[in-house]
Amino acid sequence: MLPMALMNGLVMGVIYALAALGVSLVVGIMNVINFAHGEFYILAGYFSYLFADTLGLNPILSMSLAVGMVFLFGIVIEYTIIRPTYGNHMYSLILTFILSIVLQNAYLLIFGPYPKKPPGWVKGATNIFGDFCYGNQRLAALAAGTVLIVAVFLLIKKTWFGRMIRAASQDREMAELNGVNTALLNTFSFGLGCALAAAAGVVLAPVFPVTPTSGVPVALTAFVVVVLGGMGSMWGCVIGGLILGLVENLGAAFISTGYKHLFGFIILIVVLAVKPSGLFGSRET
Amino acid sequence: MLNMAGINVFRGETQVLWDVSLVVGEREKVAILGGNGAGKSTLLQSIMGILRPASGTIAFKGDSLVGKKPYQIIQLGLALVPEGRHIYKDMSVWENLEMGAYPRRGRKWMRETMVEVTSLFPFLRDRRDQSAGTLSGGEQQMLAIGRALMSRPEMLFVDELSLGLAPIVIKEIFRVLEGLSRRTTIMLVEQNVEQALKHSERAYILKSGRIDRSGPSLELANDPDIKKAYLGL
Ligand SMILES: Nc1ncnc2c1ncn2[C@@H]1O[C@H](COP(=O)(O)OP(=O)(O)OP(=O)(O)O)[C@@H](O)[C@H]1O
Ligand SMILES: [Mg+2]
Repeated sequence: MLPMALMNGLVMGVIYALAALGVSLVVGIMNVINFAHGEFYILAGYFSYLFADTLGLNPILSMSLAVGMVFLFGIVIEYTIIRPTYGNHMYSLILTFILSIVLQNAYLLIFGPYPKKPPGWVKGATNIFGDFCYGNQRLAALAAGTVLIVAVFLLIKKTWFGRMIRAASQDREMAELNGVNTALLNTFSFGLGCALAAAAGVVLAPVFPVTPTSGVPVALTAFVVVVLGGMGSMWGCVIGGLILGLVENLGAAFISTGYKHLFGFIILIVVLAVKPSGLFGSRET
Repeated sequence: MLNMAGINVFRGETQVLWDVSLVVGEREKVAILGGNGAGKSTLLQSIMGILRPASGTIAFKGDSLVGKKPYQIIQLGLALVPEGRHIYKDMSVWENLEMGAYPRRGRKWMRETMVEVTSLFPFLRDRRDQSAGTLSGGEQQMLAIGRALMSRPEMLFVDELSLGLAPIVIKEIFRVLEGLSRRTTIMLVEQNVEQALKHSERAYILKSGRIDRSGPSLELANDPDIKKAYLGL
């Protein structure tokens, strides 16, 4: 049971890390908490289901299209409802909260209450360490999630776009004085944040099918991961995501499945009691 | 090169600059002087597009700057070393310089400019991977100047260069600016009137948001009124 729980924990951990990176990016640069993060995650799951299952496109193509569409959708949302709230965080909180409810109801109306599952990319199972058989689709999800996380790190640490994001997160006015169009950067970053939620969604949807409200626990966990890892820290997102994924699955396996999400919050409270800025947080703000 | 005529600038409800006009010629070294709260930084922020004047005109080489955003104004060849340096503390020294090179021509000539800037301030090369927040105050000021130079500006604005720095560091920085002024137009904004008059050709004195006096720096430095008011003599 232990190796199985560990593997499940890693898969979920990678997904949480991806979703948390998206939250962290948007909070860092725009100071906006996107309450609809989980609904963007689900939207990508539905899109990839639509493209692959209904239209019969190849799964990888379907997933890329789904992430691309959510990215564009995020850009439209930023431009139309977030941008007018600059300077007032309360408005953006309320608006994204309303957006999350509107989207959940739209999904219910369009896709119905039953779980939708895009086709898997691979079949069968692999015997791990000669110990137990683990679904290939889950292994593939773990690998894809890891590759995506590495890609995000490279994007943020090595490219002009990443430098601009880090500069503007630290000192917006100075970044503007260095020639960065920060309003445009906001729009793009919000889109990218949504795309990261979407990436997590398409990777996990073939394992855990999507329903209109199944984004809620993932988004909540992503917020917990951001706080746990320390605001603004990318490593915090990764380590925090893995810790939460593992704790939830080990807790579910050895204590009780009923309290699965409670374990994460207990860890959060313990960490914040010891280190209020989170695992990797340096700044107090 | 820079022409400013009759600008009035507000911060919130209060008017901070009143009918300010000034002219800076190519490769001139001009100082803007004045005490706390005179409106010096406000003047620079109006030029750079951070604040928008309620009325008046600002033009750089014939292009109007009023209504343009800071990121657009940078592209025209102006650069600001802001009061308080505003270096990116969590980024490395090198990344700070790279950010300075973000405007179009900065990126085009980044390699060459990097060599020039690190020859002005050699410690920048030795500490390239160090987190910029761990530099000393004087080093941070040099980094801030280096970062501004990375965009290859035609005109450089330096706000409160000497604030909180040891005299020997100030001297060193002024020596570097002296060298730069052969090809870059420089506008120094200072409370440190003595230093600024020494290192400029012409100066304007701001008092409560209005131009109080202006003229050649040498003349102002020898003016009995100014000696009394600003130089403590
Ligand atoms: N962000 C702000 N909001 C409102 N008023 C401001 C702001 N910043 C400055 N002021 C006011 O504008 C006036 C001019 O300030 P400014 O910073 O331009 O002065 P300064 O000459 O640069 O002073 P210092 O030498 O202290 O830097 C002051 O009365 C100041 O109180
Ligand atoms: Mg000032």
